[in-house]
Amino acid sequence: MRREIPLAITFLVGLFMLVDFFVPHHSVSAAAEEMKQWGTIVIAASILLGVGNLIRVHYRKIRRKQDGWGYSITTLVAMSVMLYFGGPWGTIAEGSAFNWMFLNMQVPLQSTMFSLLAFFIASAAYRAFRLRSAEAGLLLVAAIIVMLGRVPLGQLLTRGLPEKATLPWLTETIMTYPNMAAFRGILMGAALGVMAMGLRIILGIERSYLGGEK
Amino acid sequence: MKRTWLTFLAAAAVATSLLGAAVAQEAAPVVEEEVPREDVPLDTVAPAAPGALTARDYLDSNDAGDKIELDWELSPDDGAGSCDVAGYFLWRSRSASSPGEIVAELPSGQTHYVDRNLEPGAEYFYSITAFDGTNESAAVTCAPVAGRVNLFQTSRASILALMLVFFGLVLVFTKLAERGDELFVRRIPGLNAIEEAVGRATEMGRPVLYVPGIGEIDNIMTIASLTILSHVAKITARYETPLIVPTARAVVMSAAEEVVKQAYTEVGQPDAYNPDNIRYLSDAQFAFAGAVNGIMLREKPAANLYMGAFWAESLLLAETGFEAGAIQVAGTAMVSQLPFFVTACDFTLMGEELYAASAYLSREPKLLGGLKGSDWMKVVTIALVVLGAVLNFMGFETFVNWFRTQ
Amino acid sequence: MGTLIWTTIGAILTLSVYSFLYKDNPFYKFAEHLVVGVSAGYYLVIYYYNFIDPNVVTPVFQLRLGDQPIGFGSGAWWLALIPGLLGLLLYTRFFPKVAWVARWSLGIYVGGYAGLGISPVMQARVIEQIGANALPLTSVTNVLIVIGLLGTLAYFFFSMKHRGILGVFARTGIVFLMVGFGASFGYTVMSRISLLIGRVSFLLHDWLHLV
Repeated sequence: MRREIPLAITFLVGLFMLVDFFVPHHSVSAAAEEMKQWGTIVIAASILLGVGNLIRVHYRKIRRKQDGWGYSITTLVAMSVMLYFGGPWGTIAEGSAFNWMFLNMQVPLQSTMFSLLAFFIASAAYRAFRLRSAEAGLLLVAAIIVMLGRVPLGQLLTRGLPEKATLPWLTETIMTYPNMAAFRGILMGAALGVMAMGLRIILGIERSYLGGEK
Repeated sequence: MKRTWLTFLAAAAVATSLLGAAVAQEAAPVVEEEVPREDVPLDTVAPAAPGALTARDYLDSNDAGDKIELDWELSPDDGAGSCDVAGYFLWRSRSASSPGEIVAELPSGQTHYVDRNLEPGAEYFYSITAFDGTNESAAVTCAPVAGRVNLFQTSRASILALMLVFFGLVLVFTKLAERGDELFVRRIPGLNAIEEAVGRATEMGRPVLYVPGIGEIDNIMTIASLTILSHVAKITARYETPLIVPTARAVVMSAAEEVVKQAYTEVGQPDAYNPDNIRYLSDAQFAFAGAVNGIMLREKPAANLYMGAFWAESLLLAETGFEAGAIQVAGTAMVSQLPFFVTACDFTLMGEELYAASAYLSREPKLLGGLKGSDWMKVVTIALVVLGAVLNFMGFETFVNWFRTQ
Repeated sequence: MGTLIWTTIGAILTLSVYSFLYKDNPFYKFAEHLVVGVSAGYYLVIYYYNFIDPNVVTPVFQLRLGDQPIGFGSGAWWLALIPGLLGLLLYTRFFPKVAWVARWSLGIYVGGYAGLGISPVMQARVIEQIGANALPLTSVTNVLIVIGLLGTLAYFFFSMKHRGILGVFARTGIVFLMVGFGASFGYTVMSRISLLIGRVSFLLHDWLHLV
């Protein structure tokens, strides 16, 4: 019984959501819309699980005085301060301390980490120069053509040549034809994988992601 | 040092771009002159009536029987003839005897309109006239029509048909596999490399890092990743290698905890399970990436496995892992990130290979059957594409249009 | 003066992150742990105010949906209990006797979204693609597209050895894939560099007022 009921509910819910796509009847659509909203609420409610894990890991680190325990204090203090400012006695509107910390700490830190990609993409490209195989060579050549074709330098380099030999035209063509065809192929295969897995989840065959007893 | 050289290169690129931006100039705004108006004679001629009007129940994905769609042909004076049609009036009434009221004014050139918020099941009489600003044409009417609630969206029939074919294939081959038929699966180097990578980490006495992506648990890529995690955890449990699993979503973290704990228990090493190694880091994409980079530099895992849904942070993780000297295997169906993983990792599972992993690693007949079903579906798809191409070439477009759904 | 403090803090944190390029150091460790703590607090508060409060707390406890009062008589308030309950059930994992409830509420949630995702994926990635790629082989570009698609699909055949005709198609598929990846890679380079320009501009313009 412990197993049958949840399996049945999972099957019915999954089937209902699947059927919603084909049945335009407004009561079905309305119910499905409502259920889609519920998903975000369930996920939002679970944030405490994550925060709890964070607190536990760092607290243990501090207590056992493991390597880097001083930084764990930073994390816990920063989180407490944010919670203090954002709690029911505070406000999260523009101009509040909560918002200030978000704008002046979280945003610059995140944007800077994002911008590290400029360096990493350069070092990744540099390493790809050391060809590992013919396939890597193709990747490299295509990358160089498109990279140059997108900047004024590319237009400059091939200015005098007929249209089909200019870098921008080559870039455009590569992006439109091989790129698109290949991605459509991968996505189609991946779609079949998603659907097969989705079917197994709804039927209750795929349960390893849940853990627990088999 | 290589990094310093790259820093100078990037700085030079930045300086050049800033210089270029400073030198660019704004275009001057354009001022238009007014053209003086002349007196025009009054128009007393009405435009020609529009062509045939058809009305039918409108079917979309949220159908309460309250929408009707109308199509008509352009008036001969619209864009041709006397070229003076300014638009159309759409009239609606509840009886055949009166024209009713105007429900919409439509611009010239339009031939389609959807009337909404009607009473389901009630009969409506529509007519349409063309007007040129001062005069209205004769009305064109159509048969009465009523909206009704539909139970099936016929435009999506092709999707349902092929989906049933696909599920049928999967179920058939699953049954065949369960019956004991031998099923061949081609080598997927990336999956073979996972065990090797864990073995290497064990030899070096260093941990294995498994990043299940930053997708939420409802993302099928994340589910596939958790399935692979289960296998990896069994290997690390057997070899007694530490396994670190940083996550970016609270629910994914709890699911990962369950999966790893279960795997260690199944192998008979429940005490070797270390809950502090399954960590929630941050919901924020780059805070997560930065923290994982920190783990790579400080705890120095010798094997990095990236399986699941990744976005722009993919390269941050893969490059740092490479610099730290780990062997890296990635798997994702995010095509935008595959180029970076292919460049920075030793092995990459692309698209469907990620979903095939659970079948490949477990060799369970049920799952292998699903793979074969999937392959046959690809054959069906290829056949349809080729058939459609040939029919298209010969001029029969109806077949291909069946696949252009709403 | 106030702005200078803010931008200076932002600048120090920015430079701390860039120091990562050289090697791991106390400044980067501090910045990393800071952003983890700040974002944890941030998301906890935001998720509560944006999702839990309007959809669960307000309807159930305050008997209001936004500005509208909804009493026990009206139908709407109890609906909010369902997702709230489902979310709460996730916490039963800490009690071994009822931990299976947590697993199953997760299973139902995932099952629902799996069902939701199947059909649109079939539509967009399979059906629409059949429609879009069934092109008459009259031009070079059409041939390229069709061959590229068929080749890539051939590469993903798992249950057959890649020999003979299938092998040829699969190798063609890999060629297309690599060219496609290279193109994506090259396409992204400029947008990443522009991110760097944005940060350097913040440092040089907003903070130091040099440019």
